[in-house]
This record gives sequence, C-alpha cells and structure tokens, in this order.
Amino acid sequence: MKKTLVILTRNPLSLIGLILVGIVVLSALFADVITPFPAHVGAVVDFANFNQPPHWPNIFGTDLVGRDLFTRVVYAYRISLILGIVVLAIAVPIGVAIGLAAGYLGGWTEYLLMRLTDVFLSIPPLVLAMSIMGLLQPTLTNGMIAVTAMWWPWYTRLVYNIARSEKEEGYVLAAEVIGASKLHIMFREILPNCVPSIITKMTLDFGFVILIASSLSFLGLGVQPPTPDLGSMVAEGAKYLPDSWWLTVFPGLAILIAVFGFNLIGDALREILGVDQ
Amino acid sequence: MTNPTLRIDDLRLGFKTWSGTIDVLHGISLHIRKGERVALVGESGSGKSVTARIVLGMLQQLKSARISGTVEFEGINLETLKPASRHALRGTAMSMSMIFQDPTSSLNPVYPIFTLFREVLQRAEPGIDTETARRKAIAALADVAINEPERVLESYAFQLSGGMNQRVMIAMALANNPALLLADEPGTALDVTVQAQTLRLMSELVEKHQTSVLFISHNLGVVREFADRVYVIYKGNIVEQGPTAGLFDNPQHPYTRALLSAVPRITGGGIPDIEDDPAQFLAPLFAHQGYSEKELLK
Repeated sequence: MKKTLVILTRNPLSLIGLILVGIVVLSALFADVITPFPAHVGAVVDFANFNQPPHWPNIFGTDLVGRDLFTRVVYAYRISLILGIVVLAIAVPIGVAIGLAAGYLGGWTEYLLMRLTDVFLSIPPLVLAMSIMGLLQPTLTNGMIAVTAMWWPWYTRLVYNIARSEKEEGYVLAAEVIGASKLHIMFREILPNCVPSIITKMTLDFGFVILIASSLSFLGLGVQPPTPDLGSMVAEGAKYLPDSWWLTVFPGLAILIAVFGFNLIGDALREILGVDQ
Repeated sequence: MTNPTLRIDDLRLGFKTWSGTIDVLHGISLHIRKGERVALVGESGSGKSVTARIVLGMLQQLKSARISGTVEFEGINLETLKPASRHALRGTAMSMSMIFQDPTSSLNPVYPIFTLFREVLQRAEPGIDTETARRKAIAALADVAINEPERVLESYAFQLSGGMNQRVMIAMALANNPALLLADEPGTALDVTVQAQTLRLMSELVEKHQTSVLFISHNLGVVREFADRVYVIYKGNIVEQGPTAGLFDNPQHPYTRALLSAVPRITGGGIPDIEDDPAQFLAPLFAHQGYSEKELLK
C-alpha cells in the first residue's frame, strides 16, 4: 500500500492525478471553510448581484439569482463524491459476489446469473438509469439507486472472468482437496486474486459515476434544485451561452477535473498492480 | 487379514456428452496396503489422474460423470458415505491428501506460506492457536530439509523456487499424518535433479510415517526408484501389475514393453523406434506370479 503510494508520486501523470483528486476531495471535505458564501448553497436570492462575470469575491461569478458560483461548485463536489462512494459501495459488493458465485459454482447458477447480468448490460446504461429515474422521483437517493442498478453488472463480468480462470489454478484444486468449503474457496482463495483488478476498476469508475450522475442531472433527472449539482448547473447555464460563459465553464471544468484525476490514478494503478483489461 | 488402506474394485467411469457417453475407465481394480508405495503408470490420457480424483471424491460432484464400481478407504465404501463424512475424510487426520504436479500454482499467491500452512493444520485441529501452528509448521518444514523455515513461512509462493515449493507442498500434505497420500505426477514441473531430491525426501518421510502412497506418473525411472508395486494402465484398463523389480526386468504385456523401450537411452541411439500396434496393446491383463488382485487380497 505504502509502496503503491510512493510509485504513484513518482510518475508525473499519476502525480497530476493525485493532486487533482486531492483538490476535489479536500474541497468537498472542507467546503464550509473555503467557500465565501456557505449560505448560497440553498435557496438564496440576491438580485442586486445576479449573473455577474468572475470578480472578487465571486471568483467564479454569480448565477442567475445572484448566488456565488464558486460556493455552489465546491458543494456540488460534496454531493458528487457522496454519490460516487455510495454507488460503488453498493454496486461493487453485489457485482463481485454474483460474479464469484457464477464463475466458481458454474452450471445452472452460472447460466442464470450471467444471463441476468447480460439483460442489464444489454440496455444502454444511461437509458436504464433514465427509465429508473423516470419511474421514481428524481431525488439524490433515487439517483444513487439508478446508477447502482446500471453499475453492478460490470463488476460481475470482471470478477466472473477472473474467477473462471482462477478456478482452474492449482491452489483452488488444492483447497478442494484439503476439504475447504465453497464459500471459503470463493471469498478466501479466489477473491484476493481479483482485488487488484477490482481496485483499479473502482478508481477508474469513480470518475465515470460522477460523469453519469452529472449527465442524469443535466437531463433534469438527478438532484433537484436548490441542491447544487454540477450537471444541472451546466444544463442551466447552457441556455445563456456564450454571453454568460462562466455559468457552464466552471461547473464543466469541475467535472473534467474530477473525472480526469480519477482516470489518471486508475491508469497508473493498472500499471502498478499489473492488471490488464 | 486387515482391510487395505485403499481398495478399488471394477471402477468404471464415463463422461456423458451430447453425442453419447465416452468411457474413460473400463473397470480397473487396485489396492494399497498400509505403508505400501504403489505406482500407477501410463501415458497421458490413460486415466491415471481421474482415478485419483475419484478416490478424493472430486469427480462424483460432476453431473456428467458416470461412475460405477467400489472405492473402499480403510474398509469404508466411499459411495455409501454421506457427503459430509466424505468431506471430513479429506485433509483431516487419518485420511487422505494429495500432492500436485505444479507446486507453484498449487499455493495461493496472495497468502504467505504460514497462512496456508495454518489452514491445513486447522483442518485437523480447528481451534489451533497461532503459536502451536507456527511450531508445527517449522517442524514440518525442517523435516523436508528446508534450511530457514521461519523465513520461508513469511514468504509468498512466488518468492520461493520450484523445488522449495514442492517441499513445502510435501510438508503440508504430510502435516496431518494422512493414511493415504495421492501423488499426481509430483515434480513433473521441476528439473530432474530437484525432482530426485524431493522424491528421496518424500520417500523417507512416508516410510517414517507409514503412509500409503498412490504414486501417479509417466516417468518410469522415477517409478522404479520409488514404488514397491506397479500397475500399468492403458486406455482405462490395467494391463499389467507386479512387483517393481519383476515388472521392469521381465515385462510381459506388449504395452509395458513398448512403454519401457520408449525411454531414450543416454548412451546413444537416441529415441528408439517403437513398433506401434495399438491392437496388441489391448491384450488382457497380465499379473505377475503372486501379484494378481485375488492372490494379494486373500
């Protein structure tokens, strides 16, 4: 773990990734401290100061009702990160458990589980998430449910493939011979061999979860106002391009930084941990 | 007379496929007494390894496998055994264990050797504490001539050489004092000098522990050194059986002769020409004087 961190700081690209992710995480954690107008997160109106280009103290400018854009972008990171963590925390265990069971047990279990996974994979991800959001109310919680529902099959696929090949390895046979239980073999023998791939994919996916969640709110199906969200900020500002450019450029850049940062780290991890995809 | 450690009688195995059943074993019979080292020799695909898997009860779970015949372990018929008690037979004390072809891939690369060793010991003694396990593991590794057992216990399989891994495997397989050891082409993945070394070690250990061994191999030289008795298997039939010396000096079955003459001579001549007439290889079983199943099991 420590060694991985040291290697990460040596490579210039992954160092940039670490810095970008560090900025995102720190600003989300200390949002109350670093933002000049914490009150502007909610439904605040300041018509004397609306739609202003970047100036001091509103370094990102103000939105259409006069709220500080910088404050809202930083708080939106908080929402995005929570969403990313929750989605992966639910989707990864589900996907991994199903993938392990299908890959190791084989037979009818494999057939049923993998066909079920294929059904989910056959629907374009955004369409699936949109239809779930359409059925439910567009809130943060339901957004998490929708993104989770479209995310777990990818982990099932990943772990299934590794489990299928690891199953043929000598140590699995050896464990069967000394009489280890199926659960033991799945979670104590095969799973540790999948961990590098899972961690790499999780890091890469963190950025994509943020992107998908932003796409959903861009389409008006995600987090609802007045809660700040990067996607809905971009959507709102898009109507006023190119005159009020700061309304879209800063939230857009914020998405870019987060996704780019997580991707750089994910790529570097893939090389360090020797995972090939 | 007491029950042999392992007795297989008229074992048949077929695999059911879409296009009908493929017969793999056509009724093989063999037995191993306590402390006896028996070799099962044959070319690849002759049914050596599946026999071992059946003894371990690992093919019975396979839906496509059709098995008939008797497999008795210490007088207990494995077929009539409940899955739970069969499960208990594997790895625990007074039972069976196995050594595999490729030692390095048989050790899970994500755990250090000690973790793996403790798991093996836990099969026999579920509540074993770390200290006792470590002491036992060190003793077992010292038994297989590993110089720094403490360092090896902290290492991962990929940090050790193939020969060391093989010795670790042997130590693990014998850690719980099994009654029967199934050695499926041990050391095939190693070079000959290391192979000889580990086999000698294994030989000494099984003698010390009075372990019965079913030694599966295609390497005739190794078999000659190691085994007390030999069964030659060809296409799922035992074709010849007898004492090691007698069988090697005076092979009777056409297939055994072909097998023996197929060994290249280091003194020249290279790889010999073998008359390849499969029809005569299917001649019936030849048992050396006093070494047929009937005579031995009296």
